[in-house]
Amino acid sequence: MSSLIAIVLLPFFGAPFVAWLGARWRPAAAGVAVLITLACLLLLGIAAWGADLSHAQVVSFSWIPLIGLDFAFRLDGLSLLFSGIILIIGLLIVIYAQYYLATEDSTARFFASLMLFMGAMLGIVLSENLIQLVIFWELTSLSSFLLISFWQHRQEARTGARMALTLTGLGGLALLGGVLLLGHVVGSYNLSVVLNAGEVVKASPLYLPILILILLGVFTKSAQFPFHFWLPNAMAAPTPVSAYLHSATMVKAGIFLLARFFPLLAGTEAWVILVGGAGLITFLLGAYTALFKHDLKGLLAYSTLSHLGLITLLMGFGTPLALVAGLFHLINHATFKASLFMVAGIVDHETGTRDMRRLGGLARHMPRTTLLAIIAASAMAGVPLLNGFLSKEMFFTEALDVSAGWGLPLLVTLGAVFSVAYSIRFIHDTFFGEPSPDLPTHIHEPPLMMRIPVMILVVACLAVGLAPALLVGGILNLSVSAALNAPAPIFSLALWHGFNTPLIMSMLAMFGGLVVYLARRPLTRWHEQSLGRLNAKTPYNFVLRALQLGSETLTHAFDQGRLQPMVFWTLTTTLAAGLIGFLHFSAAPLFGSDPQATPFDGITALGIIIMMGLALSIAFIHAQRLIALLVLSVIGLGVSLLFVRYSAPDLALTQLSVEVVTLILMLLALRYLPQTSPPDRAKRRRLDAFLASLIGAGAATLTYAMMSRDFASIAGYFLENSLSQGGGHNVVNVILVDFRGYDTFGEISVLALAALGIYALLQGIKLPPLTPPPIATARLAHPMLLQTASQLLLPMTLLFGAYILLRGHNAPGGGFIAGLIVASAILLQLITYGLPADGRALSAKAHGAIALGLLLALGTGLASIVLGYPFLTSTFTHIRLPLIGDVEVASAMMFDFGVFFVVMGTAILMLNRIIHLQAEEPHTVTTKEPH
Amino acid sequence: MALPWLALPVFLPLFSAILLIALRPLGITLARAISGTSVSILLICVVYFTASGLGDTAQVYPMGNWPAPFGIVWVYDRLSGLMLLLTALLAMVSFLYTIATDEDKKGAHFHALFQAQLFGLNGAFLTGDVFNLFVFFEVLLIASYGLMLHGGGAARSRAGLHYIVINLMGSTIFLFAVGALYGVLGTLNLADLALKISQAPASTYGLIAAASFLLFVVFAIKAAAFPLYLWLPGTYSETAAPVAALFAIMTKVGLYALLRVHGTLFNEHTAPFDLINLIDPWMRLLGLVTLIMATFGVMAAINLRRQVAYLVLASVGTLMIALGINTTDALTGGLYYWIHTTLMTAGFFLLAGQIVRTRGDQIGQTRPPMPHALLAGSLFMMYAIGLAGLPPLTGFFGKTMILFAALASPLWVPIYATVLLSSVLMVVALARSGNALFYRVDHAPLPTELAPSPMPLGNSKLSWVAVALPLSLVFLMVIASKPLTQWLTLTSAQIQDTPRYIQRVLHPSRTEPVPNFAPHPAHVPEAS
Amino acid sequence: MAILFALLIGVLTAIGVYLSLRAQTFPVVMGLTLLSYAVNLFLFGTGRLASNAAAVIEPHATYTDPLPQALVLTAIVIAFAMTAFVIVLALKTRAELGSDHVDGAADQPAPPTAAHKNTSC
Repeated sequence: MSSLIAIVLLPFFGAPFVAWLGARWRPAAAGVAVLITLACLLLLGIAAWGADLSHAQVVSFSWIPLIGLDFAFRLDGLSLLFSGIILIIGLLIVIYAQYYLATEDSTARFFASLMLFMGAMLGIVLSENLIQLVIFWELTSLSSFLLISFWQHRQEARTGARMALTLTGLGGLALLGGVLLLGHVVGSYNLSVVLNAGEVVKASPLYLPILILILLGVFTKSAQFPFHFWLPNAMAAPTPVSAYLHSATMVKAGIFLLARFFPLLAGTEAWVILVGGAGLITFLLGAYTALFKHDLKGLLAYSTLSHLGLITLLMGFGTPLALVAGLFHLINHATFKASLFMVAGIVDHETGTRDMRRLGGLARHMPRTTLLAIIAASAMAGVPLLNGFLSKEMFFTEALDVSAGWGLPLLVTLGAVFSVAYSIRFIHDTFFGEPSPDLPTHIHEPPLMMRIPVMILVVACLAVGLAPALLVGGILNLSVSAALNAPAPIFSLALWHGFNTPLIMSMLAMFGGLVVYLARRPLTRWHEQSLGRLNAKTPYNFVLRALQLGSETLTHAFDQGRLQPMVFWTLTTTLAAGLIGFLHFSAAPLFGSDPQATPFDGITALGIIIMMGLALSIAFIHAQRLIALLVLSVIGLGVSLLFVRYSAPDLALTQLSVEVVTLILMLLALRYLPQTSPPDRAKRRRLDAFLASLIGAGAATLTYAMMSRDFASIAGYFLENSLSQGGGHNVVNVILVDFRGYDTFGEISVLALAALGIYALLQGIKLPPLTPPPIATARLAHPMLLQTASQLLLPMTLLFGAYILLRGHNAPGGGFIAGLIVASAILLQLITYGLPADGRALSAKAHGAIALGLLLALGTGLASIVLGYPFLTSTFTHIRLPLIGDVEVASAMMFDFGVFFVVMGTAILMLNRIIHLQAEEPHTVTTKEPH
Repeated sequence: MALPWLALPVFLPLFSAILLIALRPLGITLARAISGTSVSILLICVVYFTASGLGDTAQVYPMGNWPAPFGIVWVYDRLSGLMLLLTALLAMVSFLYTIATDEDKKGAHFHALFQAQLFGLNGAFLTGDVFNLFVFFEVLLIASYGLMLHGGGAARSRAGLHYIVINLMGSTIFLFAVGALYGVLGTLNLADLALKISQAPASTYGLIAAASFLLFVVFAIKAAAFPLYLWLPGTYSETAAPVAALFAIMTKVGLYALLRVHGTLFNEHTAPFDLINLIDPWMRLLGLVTLIMATFGVMAAINLRRQVAYLVLASVGTLMIALGINTTDALTGGLYYWIHTTLMTAGFFLLAGQIVRTRGDQIGQTRPPMPHALLAGSLFMMYAIGLAGLPPLTGFFGKTMILFAALASPLWVPIYATVLLSSVLMVVALARSGNALFYRVDHAPLPTELAPSPMPLGNSKLSWVAVALPLSLVFLMVIASKPLTQWLTLTSAQIQDTPRYIQRVLHPSRTEPVPNFAPHPAHVPEAS
Repeated sequence: MAILFALLIGVLTAIGVYLSLRAQTFPVVMGLTLLSYAVNLFLFGTGRLASNAAAVIEPHATYTDPLPQALVLTAIVIAFAMTAFVIVLALKTRAELGSDHVDGAADQPAPPTAAHKNTSC
């Protein structure tokens, strides 16, 4: 049975080969395609020959066990019937298409897509696993998109392709949903199991959802009302595609699924109503509309709709015999409809038009084709001695059986009347009567190879019509029993069932059809005044438009690409999140009562109140940027004072030095920005103020809720081990360079990266300052004074920096602060002595410092790895230094040196870059030197 | 002992970054050599980690040899391994495309920032300490700021400003949240936090919940969930193609953090009953809304890169749904989809870059056929199929697994409706784009498609290789779905097995699980 | 004392939020700076407030919780780096967009999404 896998995969793997070869040598494409199809047929024959198909032959490999998806195929009567149709008609189509396609069409692309489609189609009918079936189902939609849109330059081809993809894609995903539910109910996705669970499924509360979802898939694929309209629009495809996909195979996939799921879903009231209803409507609608189509392919498309509807209706009856009739008619329809499409293609090919108002009298030019067309059309009309007649008789019989009253039989006959009428029209208006004068005169028979496929199919129509039981009885029996998952009912395929009601209905249809055809002109006029105006496309387009418009409005309303709404949403969400958190447990008290709460202290309180006042004032004066900035840094000062007050000297020092550098930075930046902000609208201000106060309240609440509670932390460990294990008295510093040195490591990388980022940002940016320099490079009153000062200052600051750096491990200080101090000293030096014209040299040095610093830090860390310890493991020893006295030299201090260099380099690089902003060499604007 | 090698994925990129800074004047060729070597070694290393099953039991690496919870520890398990692997893959793809198109010549320090980005990402994926997670978020963010703005230009600078301001707010919120957690529980190590929460008095639940929801906001900003995703479309569509491709991992950082932090703190084994799966309902809800909004965005986009950006959002929505369902099956499906969407969006951004380079970004305008029309068209179709979630690509399998798992959720009906319909609408939208990009050309029919024509700038072949690489990996995923899903099932089980995580981190010596936790139900699947 | 401390954090946050909602880059940067003050104080507060208890090991001394201080230090430095970056970015955007409005211009053109309709095929 593993040959089944080959049957499905061969076309897929063949397709690229077809494309590749066809692109190099045109005829090769069709040739390879034929070979692939023949090979598949052969394999199918081999698989079917030995096997006992009375029960399914399965080959299976597990694919995703988690969801019960297997790579599994099955061969039983039903799949044999369908794969047979797919391959045989596929073969004829390939031959036909080779002669149909024009020289400018890319046969490579065409046949490759065709092979993909064939593989997908075979996959559907041979699948054992339902999820896998859905996969191939969607693949048919995709490959048919490629085929319908083959003539991409034609607007209607593109529209038709997308419409088909949209609807069948929708159906496919609905099908996926249905299948998942089905598997959930049954507990397996393998047909062998699922098919035996009919009772379970019908009993399940999920039955109706499952049925509806699966039927969505079926109706979209088989173009049943109300999803029928994509099929006529798909006629923009090359005729071989219409013949193959849109009459013989793809549109039958839905029917296949109905047959496949017959034992699972059929027989309930919902089934009869939904399936039967859709079938009946499509049957009548298609037959009626076909008559009024002037385009040959249009007529055939609607007739296809009507025949699909007929088969669906039969399935809807839900009786075994109806199933027999349905599958029988499916075979017959495939034969005569495919041949008629090919005929339409021939006519188009020879005359250049498919419009029956212009066509006529072709019988004179192409008698053989005409003959073939007449036979095929009569089969379609259900004329005795042809296969169409037999299945239609069975259809009538079933209709009579299931229906109580006369309503259904009448409707059914009415449908038949119209199918006779349009069949007559197809033949008469094309091959007889008078052609319009503008039709080319030198029309002749098509090349033989284009006619042979038609001939074969027509012969099949005749043969089956004459000896049905002999030719299709066996396979029909097999497939029906496979579909029923039970022995097939007794049915007789015979030419003559005696003079009975169905026969009368047929004769009525024949006679009525003739009458309708003769009365077609007034009918057409009436139709075009009334029903002709209705078009199912309109609601479809309306829905799509509405969706499009809706999504554009919504998207644009929410995503405006503006910062303020982004910030607003971020803040409101944050507020909401905090609230939700607390509200989850609103029962518990919001605040605790810490026994050792911090005692009140007037001076600090005053300081805090002043800070609040200053902060509030910024909200009002922020438009005056310089003042606001100064107030801001005063607050920063206050923060560092708070740190001192509450036993955090390190923080105080750091905050202070950062504050200074930040201030310088902002002042420098402010030179290049407007000094004031334009006022905002009062409404906006009020809204923002409201939100701000809410969030402020939130932050305060959170803070107090946290601080008012007693808590135990891991701090004790650090206090105990700082000296003994970390070799430092200053626990904070030991944490920074040792316990959590890795954090500091990340932190200095952030610094370094910020510097690099800034360097890259301002590269080639030339920005004229808006204001005279406030401090930097300003003309100073007494340069001499400052110069001498800084001359003294520099070595002192350097020394102080070194001191801060070394003592850091035991007393407040450390690499970070030292780095900033030294950096500012160096910059002061530069400023007072006037800056070099461009900062290249300095920034190069700064880059060096950063790299060195990072390398030191990294090296310290890696050294310990080399020594067999984890990253950044520290060790230390004691030495005496002049001035400073006894210090532990911890390996962590090497790390602190790294910090020092990075910070110094960063500060210098940043500031230097900004100081030189307007001093940028013009050439750096145009040519950015690549590093 | 393999542990010291854990340092490699983190410090190798940093080392290369340092080299790149120091050797800056020596020119672009050397820079590319260093960067390329680093990325290659990184890739080999993490592939080896994953292949050797290093993360099958969580490996704990104590920084500075200080034991958890006092020092910072790295925890390498399957999930971190997976993230490292994805990062390295994206890095390779992005690097190839960069050097093929000379993006790195458009400004200073590209490769240094690129390496630093990897340093930050890998650090974030390895750490087991929430404050250290913050620090490495900052590292990867500052690097991403530099990369995002690389090359400059008005639109890019504007988008960059927005991106950065929003993320700075995120960082502030992060600190508030971490601070609150420390202020209540007195520790920073993730495992220790989970332990402390399991013993916390009920009076503190409110505070813990508030902090965790703030943390949720922070990670949701990174992950770009509704209503916090507004920064993403601009950022991803305005930055350079290779950077956007690398950023495909950025949204995953947020999701990873959600999975890691909230998954550990509020798991069903150790968390107090009232706090179990605290945020899951919100994950599901926001996931649904994000998916819906993203789908509309995909439909509304008339500019290719923006459309891809919205596809990223759609995948974020789908993933949040999966994580919100939070069963082993859901996580497995989610992680499968996670790998898929990371690779596919990265590749699609590169493809969009190719198309924009040769045709222009506006989908609507008709243009003459672009060079390599058939190649570009076929790639476009496959990426579109994959990201819309149609077979036969991984998007379909991922979504199917998630839907399969969703049946366990009370929300399964809306989830089914949203996920399936969004797929349809994305197909519609992408079909329209593809149709406009490749079919509606000025002069039809297209010339002989397979005839190659030169790419205007950069090394054409290499750039196409970079574009096709993620796709080939995705095809591999389809074929190897069985072993992959089995591996991912074990991964999900490991993620959910917090007691074991806590025991590995806090008592590395102990082998049996920590007492006073109910022994977890084994999630280990029968087949493996 | 804790209440006042909490109030201070609240006020700083509120003003920070208010400024970060402004339409020009410079106020936004100031707002972010205020926010970083607030959050640094908050982090500091997680160790609670203790007087004369600096965590420098001396014989017989009481110590405050040193860990939050270390965290705050890291936070300060990172905030500094970020502030520096974003202020420089403000300069860049002004150079690139010719305005210091956060969107380049007050009437910032809508993003491409809804710019023009293309429902046809």
